[in-house]
Amino acid sequence: MSLLPFLVLVIIGLTLGVLLLSISQILGEKQKNPRPHDIYESGMDPVGNALKRYDIKYFLTGILFLLFDVEIVFLFPWALTYKDSANKELMIAEFLFFMAILLVGYLYVLFSKSLKWDD
Amino acid sequence: MQGELIEILLKTAVVLGVPLGVIPLIVHVERRGAAFIQKRVGPNRVGLFGIFQPLADVVKFLFKEEVVPAHVLKPLYILAPILTLVMAILPFAGIPICEPFMLGARKVYPEIFRSDLGVFYVFATTALGSYGILIAGWASNNKYTLLGSIRACAQMISYELSLSITLVALFFLYGTVDLHEIVRQQNASFFGFLPTWGVFYQPVGCLLFLVAIFAESNRLPFDLAEGESELVAGYHLEYSSMKFALFFMAEYLHMIVLSALFVLLFFGGYNLLPGFGLIVDMIPQSLPLFQFLSLFFKVALMIWFFVWVRWSIPRFRYDQLMNLGWKRLLPLGIANLMVTVLYVYWKG
Repeated sequence: MSLLPFLVLVIIGLTLGVLLLSISQILGEKQKNPRPHDIYESGMDPVGNALKRYDIKYFLTGILFLLFDVEIVFLFPWALTYKDSANKELMIAEFLFFMAILLVGYLYVLFSKSLKWDD
Repeated sequence: MQGELIEILLKTAVVLGVPLGVIPLIVHVERRGAAFIQKRVGPNRVGLFGIFQPLADVVKFLFKEEVVPAHVLKPLYILAPILTLVMAILPFAGIPICEPFMLGARKVYPEIFRSDLGVFYVFATTALGSYGILIAGWASNNKYTLLGSIRACAQMISYELSLSITLVALFFLYGTVDLHEIVRQQNASFFGFLPTWGVFYQPVGCLLFLVAIFAESNRLPFDLAEGESELVAGYHLEYSSMKFALFFMAEYLHMIVLSALFVLLFFGGYNLLPGFGLIVDMIPQSLPLFQFLSLFFKVALMIWFFVWVRWSIPRFRYDQLMNLGWKRLLPLGIANLMVTVLYVYWKG
């Protein structure tokens, strides 16, 4: 299988983006007014630096996403091999065991208030 | 090698050219649709029914000043819109627009990037969209954009969970991940008139998927990334002229590709619409064309649904959004998967 189509699309995308930006750069109006170059903060003078701490919950969400997504990724091969498997009972037992672990993990996350956003 | 390249370019011209070409039309439909729903007139001056308004907008985008504010991280700031566009273009490579057809003695697959795991490729590249948003928000060095991009990212990854768990149930039921095979399985009918669409096998899954694609493409009621009333414009606040237009294009491309996937998985994909069968019976060679038209029509309806929802349902609050994603949709998705699996097992 060749990766050529993928490369072609990346090149098309990059070309399209760069081309449109440069056309606009060439045709667009140019002025020396310094006002638009300020940080936009609803017309007020900017207060402090923007790149500082933000709520830990976003980070937690990211970590939880990784955990759950990996568990779901494990389910894809299972779902695709079920139809051709000889021992269906074993497959179902595995599935239920896996889901039970997933459920325990989910309940832990729920009761640890990691998903509580309304405070 | 050269023949292969020409084939890829021809496929790209259709699979990517058509969506890029209809974006102005979608923008117009969206604005007229908004006006229709809100009992306004909408843009109707430029050309018949204001049909040339989007063209005028493009010209205006091109002639605007390219402002690069002094406080931004310049390389990333300029890279972000281009990257967002590339990420939005990539998933189109995995979308099948018609059945594989015979050209002379050769079997031609309509996907640009043919792979057995095409649907995983599409989802992987769709998920990359959050990188462009994150880079844009960070590089703009502004409190509103940073908040907007972090929110957008948290929202997209949260709803990706319910998206993937729906897919597990769906692939379990179809027994395959090949989109052609999935569409073929939806070609039969219940009781002779109702098509065997995925939506009838997985109604709950269909609903979850629908909600998730709204959240993935950052459209109302899930456009917390923009949230005009709180964040002014969200992650693209510091962007103007063509750089903003690239974000805009990427959002519409995301909508189109996710709608196409939704149609392929749940609504019979490129199976012929009623009536087209008669023409195809007369001219068998036109089958790919009419399959493409069927898919096009269904996706167009889906886009209208996006517009309809946008002007009917107000935006969520952020905690409501997270609660819906993690405490309603995810457990519902897991329950849906359990019920599907156990039902298939009991049925034997």
